[in-house]
Amino acid sequence: MAERRSRGYRKYYPPKRKVCRFCERGIRDIDYKKIDVLRRYVPERGKISPRRATGTCAYHQRRLTVAIKRARLLAMLPYVAD
Amino acid sequence: MRLYETAFLIAPNLSDEDTEALIDQMAEVVSGKQGKMVNVDKWGKRRLAYQIQKFDAAFYVFFVYKGEPAIPAELERRFKQHEAIIRYLTVVVDERENVRRGKSGRGTRPPARSDRRPPRPAPPAEEARAPRAVPPPKPVTQPAESAAESEAPAKTEESTEEN
Repeated sequence: MAERRSRGYRKYYPPKRKVCRFCERGIRDIDYKKIDVLRRYVPERGKISPRRATGTCAYHQRRLTVAIKRARLLAMLPYVAD
Repeated sequence: MRLYETAFLIAPNLSDEDTEALIDQMAEVVSGKQGKMVNVDKWGKRRLAYQIQKFDAAFYVFFVYKGEPAIPAELERRFKQHEAIIRYLTVVVDERENVRRGKSGRGTRPPARSDRRPPRPAPPAEEARAPRAVPPPKPVTQPAESAAESEAPAKTEESTEEN
């Protein structure tokens, strides 16, 4: 029953609120070496996804940005990709 | 004493023995200056996301060590001299975490940002959406909804991936 309730809830509130994925997991620091995590926030072109697209909170977006830039310096992520 | 992490990339054209020798040589710099090596991580040869000095790949090495600031300074000085090292990065690991913890302890207190935008609870949306979603027999009634409200945000999609 509990599932049905929550499903019903979602049906009536279509714009689902995004929750910061890092807060959800209780992660404090974002490691620049975890490329698979960072990849999720840099779509094809190699740009950093904005908060409005990912739901990341301000605190983690700041950390994420630094992590991505570090990873770029070490050529683990591209600066630009076509 | 601080915890540092130094990453450096070694050119792929260096032979395996030379690469190892170079890593050992750099590790000695740390111990030679009373630093304590905490961890040495060798990723091996990896493709680069872009070319560096015409190389498409490089040998990744990460040193985590504790010591005085003279150590990263010395390491970087050596890196500059050594042409096989094509890129390096030093970061301080211990990052003033305590400052943050005093305030709200971001890492320890996980989600629960319900303080964020409270003014969108049940009533108005109910009326607005209910007619549109007629097919499902009964719109969820009051108690069910308040129960769902507290638990639904936590279980939005894809909450299990990542790390």
